[in-house]
Amino acid sequence: MAFDAWSLIGGLEVALDVDVLVGAYPDRDGPPGTPESVADLLAAHRTRTGAVASLRAALFDMRSGNDEVLALADMRSDNDEVLALAGSAEASRRASSGRPQAGPGWVPVGAVDLRDPIGAGRELDQLAGAGVRAVRLFPDEQGVEAGFPSVRHVARRAAELGLVVLTGGDVRRFWQPFTGLGARVVFLDTHFYHLGDFLVAAAEEPGFHTSTRLLNSPDALETVAAELGAERLLHGSRAPHYEPIVPLLRLATSGLTPDQIAAVAGGNARRLLS
Amino acid sequence: MIIDVHAHWGPWFFTMDVAAASLATMDRYGIDRAIVSATEAVIYDAPAGNRALAEVLAGQDRLYGYVTINPRRLPEAAADLRELLPSGRWIGVKIHTDYTGSPVTSPQLRDALELAAEAGLPALVHTWGASVLGLAQLCLDTPGLRVIAGHMGADGYAHAIEAANACDRLYLEPCWSHAPAGRIAAVVAAVDDRQLLFGTDATLIDPSSAYGAVAAAGLTAETAERIAWRNAAELFSI
Repeated sequence: MAFDAWSLIGGLEVALDVDVLVGAYPDRDGPPGTPESVADLLAAHRTRTGAVASLRAALFDMRSGNDEVLALADMRSDNDEVLALAGSAEASRRASSGRPQAGPGWVPVGAVDLRDPIGAGRELDQLAGAGVRAVRLFPDEQGVEAGFPSVRHVARRAAELGLVVLTGGDVRRFWQPFTGLGARVVFLDTHFYHLGDFLVAAAEEPGFHTSTRLLNSPDALETVAAELGAERLLHGSRAPHYEPIVPLLRLATSGLTPDQIAAVAGGNARRLLS
Repeated sequence: MIIDVHAHWGPWFFTMDVAAASLATMDRYGIDRAIVSATEAVIYDAPAGNRALAEVLAGQDRLYGYVTINPRRLPEAAADLRELLPSGRWIGVKIHTDYTGSPVTSPQLRDALELAAEAGLPALVHTWGASVLGLAQLCLDTPGLRVIAGHMGADGYAHAIEAANACDRLYLEPCWSHAPAGRIAAVVAAVDDRQLLFGTDATLIDPSSAYGAVAAAGLTAETAERIAWRNAAELFSI
């Protein structure tokens, strides 16, 4: 049958997807994003761990939304073990041994509301105190521009706390508030149209990384690997609101080496989020 | 068998190097045939781009050509059609509404589509958002025109459903660099599958985007075959 994507994907598995959401967008039709349905979707796409953030936190209430993803992470085995296993040989051994799997593991990602920079600062402190390692920003959803003082404030505070920032927004604008801070940032919306801007910005910022989700030209992944190194690439799907098979298929058919593909599929994210 | 009805040959102005990647890109996804337009023709100079592509088409048998038309240069377009069609390698007309400043509401686009209809060629037209509804009206207004809504409106795919249902000579192809969940499934559920085609926008966009999105739609074997090649083979008589 035509369009047999899995035959092209072969044996590729994702150890850690850096762009996963729970919750729904109230302004559009789309999946409900219940934790159970998202877990099923990840499992169906051979994804062992999702770095998950809450749309409730992004759109309505930081604290209760972040509690939601913290509780999700508690549902699984110890979160440190999940991170340590993501992409490891032990994880592959467990999967192939037939050992029962409880479903994908979760790496909790906090979200802060850039419309409330004071509250966002407090929430960052709370998240860091709870052992969370990454915070996600939703500037488009919150109507926040890169030049707003709030973004620089949150960028600075996250860097001080050692939090990795996963940020949406146009990379041509959102690179700027993270410069000069030693920040570790993953740009989740880098489109291949804007790849050149990411490359020149990231060349001066070793902490800048990009999700693969929209790097879907025939040579964008390969160009990042050649210009910056494949360690700057992190597999991201935006499940369940985007089709997770698309970046999976792009990675599987890429010109990267097997080691590079494994790193993009989770090893890089594990290193960054550990 | 897969036929890609929305593909390109030539370089792009972004940070990418894909000018010679058409066949290799097709091979990675088992795409057998592609109908391509020259990037130079789409973006800047239609006659020059069409002639550059003519040399490529003459050298192989997996690519067919779209004669790219700039609606603001219709005498040039008519000359290109007269000169190029006899080779048999050109089987459609391509019109990009944005690069030529010719939205679906413009009189020059209406004239260009009449030219395509007179030539008996399907026309691939760039659509985005609600513009696909205007294309449906043009299709209804132009006897004999068969038109493909490129990108099927992208984020305006709900409008594309309405457009396809309004005009049975309007076809949809799905390529887009974004793949929001359920987009293809929604269209397949609401449109006659004889009006659905497969397109990738390669070599601008990697085929993984359209291919993966279509694969995710859970098509029946019959519909998958229609989208993959059967409808295109009938529409373009190939």
